[in-house]
Amino acid sequence: MNEVVESDVVDAGRRRVLAGMLTAYTASLIPWALAAPVASLNEGTFLALSAILVGQTALDAELGGRLHAALMTESPRFDADAQALLKLIDSEHVDPARLQATLDASHSPLAPLPRQIMRAWCLGLVGEGEAARCIAYENALNAVVVAEVLKPPTYAYGPYGSWSKPPPAKGDGGP
Amino acid sequence: MTTSTSADIVVVGSGICGALAAYRLAQQGLSVLILEAGPRIDRARVVAAFRNSPRKSDWMSPYPFSPWAPQPDYSPKDNGYLIQAGPYRYPAEYIRVVGGTTWHWAAQAWRLVPSDVRIKTLYDVGVDWPMAYDELDAWYQQAEEILGVAGADNTGSPRKHPFPMQPVAEPWSMRRFRERLAPAYPVVANTVARNSRSYDGRPACVGNNSCQPICPVNAQYLGINAVESAEAAGARVVPNAVVYRIEPDAKGRIVAVHYYDPNKKSYRAAGKEFILAANGIESPKLLLLSASDRFPNGIANSSGMVGRNLMDHPSSSLTFYADEEVWLGRGPQSPSSINTMRDGAFRSRHAAYRLDFTNISQVLSVTEALIAEGVYGAEFEKQLRWRAARQVNVKNVLEVLPHPENRITLASEKDALGIPKPEAHYSIDDYTRRGADVSKKDFARIAQMMGGTGLRYSPDGQFANNQHITGTLGMGDDPAKFVTDRFGRTHDHENLFCCGTGVMPTAATMNSTLTAVALALRTADHMHPPSRGKSSSAAGAEPSP
Repeated sequence: MNEVVESDVVDAGRRRVLAGMLTAYTASLIPWALAAPVASLNEGTFLALSAILVGQTALDAELGGRLHAALMTESPRFDADAQALLKLIDSEHVDPARLQATLDASHSPLAPLPRQIMRAWCLGLVGEGEAARCIAYENALNAVVVAEVLKPPTYAYGPYGSWSKPPPAKGDGGP
Repeated sequence: MTTSTSADIVVVGSGICGALAAYRLAQQGLSVLILEAGPRIDRARVVAAFRNSPRKSDWMSPYPFSPWAPQPDYSPKDNGYLIQAGPYRYPAEYIRVVGGTTWHWAAQAWRLVPSDVRIKTLYDVGVDWPMAYDELDAWYQQAEEILGVAGADNTGSPRKHPFPMQPVAEPWSMRRFRERLAPAYPVVANTVARNSRSYDGRPACVGNNSCQPICPVNAQYLGINAVESAEAAGARVVPNAVVYRIEPDAKGRIVAVHYYDPNKKSYRAAGKEFILAANGIESPKLLLLSASDRFPNGIANSSGMVGRNLMDHPSSSLTFYADEEVWLGRGPQSPSSINTMRDGAFRSRHAAYRLDFTNISQVLSVTEALIAEGVYGAEFEKQLRWRAARQVNVKNVLEVLPHPENRITLASEKDALGIPKPEAHYSIDDYTRRGADVSKKDFARIAQMMGGTGLRYSPDGQFANNQHITGTLGMGDDPAKFVTDRFGRTHDHENLFCCGTGVMPTAATMNSTLTAVALALRTADHMHPPSRGKSSSAAGAEPSP
């Protein structure tokens, strides 16, 4: 679980702290975040960055705390890098759709960070290779996003034969 | 604690074939001892291990290997157990635990087609089997009744009696393939050991979509079900018993096998008859390991054919987006296929194949692709839903011919107990590659008929392996050319028998388990014919409703 350092806890000022981290640009990407509780400045940064990357209007704050703790364990520079990346997105007004290409083109040392955060939220995974850990499965975002159509593998879809019916929902958009 | 034991029958290997042979012999009142190199495992723990695994596309990840009973393991790094001699890499996978590799099979329980056992006569390729297809019918039927097989009569495999169960309910995705590809390609239900109703005390499928690596609800038959039947019939299972030597007497009869426990303490298990059922890699390894002055090439190897004619089923594939939402992942993983290329005059020129559609949820692979592409923000969710709804895959399952130079040998490297590791020598010949080339035209046509976009072919000349380890202990009448006779008895040792996919002289195009089980039951009944009046079919199978 996420370790919350008491002195870092922002109680009444939670919203103001997070709001203070964001410019109008980043706030426009994550209007939800202004109302979200955060336990610390670093966690607030992580959640804001997460919201921009995953494009979600509601993130599970408890899971966020666990993912943040795991990512910090993985890299002592994580919080500093996350703040730098959020600042970059803010100052350069980087569109999330072009973020990775922008970082790759400039050979930024921050280039691995978006994928680490995406892997954490969307696959529930932190760390690579033998050090990889699964933090979330059925509540990882890739399961949540399709939850009205699919169950994560190992979870029963439904009574025998229920899968013969047409899928219940329509996907939207296109590549 | 005694270091020696004995039984009428000693079975090496507790997979589905060894366990069902043991079950059948225990039913005859014989004392049966099953030695298994690996530990007992628990279904619920496998389910939990999968859910907690950081490598969910690696179906070996919930089955960690034991140091004393290693198995090939390639991720996150190769454990170096199966040595690759080349020229083509053969990344075989199997599980050394009580119940064996069917813990994570797809429950594909196919019969051969009649021509499969006569390809030398009909097409002048491969070898003929030492039996006709019709001779196998009764054993197939018994295997299907024990396993609880669901299927239909439209797959090209004749039968004399009905399937135990109706086909499993068709997923919506497969219905759309069937409707849109007709009449050019008849898409039919796969023949599977998966319950379409409650059967033999096990429930009907509820669509967990994790047939591989584990069915959480016991709706598909696994080797562990066979082990439990064998134990109920009186067989005794010793886990963590790593057999390392087969002991013959001066006349060539087998008198005992020797095994290590995890601490390398040695034990001797004596018996009157022995069944080697440790799969197409571990079985020949053990025969080769047992070389002595009297048998310098190893046990059962006067022909020099032990380990040779290694076969499997390579696959190439096409992944694309259909022009409608089909949402793979609803229902079982491998429900439907096209069977029209399993046989024909073309087999004189190129490999036969089956075309198989996956119904595995695409959510994991799509998510990985989107992250790799750097698709973030609102576009991520939009793309995830769009792609997961439409991404589909068709693959071939290609026949590989028996070639003596494709083989398992002993490596110079040794495992933790000091036992030589197996070494794979493997290549994929032009006959199989031509089959892949022909099937690529089917892939293109199928994609076109499904309104496919974003076509991604697997790279030419590169094949995925299906883990259908076949050959290495082939059956045949000529002792100079084959390891085992038509009943699975080794030509060299009258009381040593082999069960498993290794005894199959050719691989055909179908998942090999049901054929191997049918042959194992046939071997057991040949060893000790069931007495008149005793049931030789399913244990406690419920009557059809």
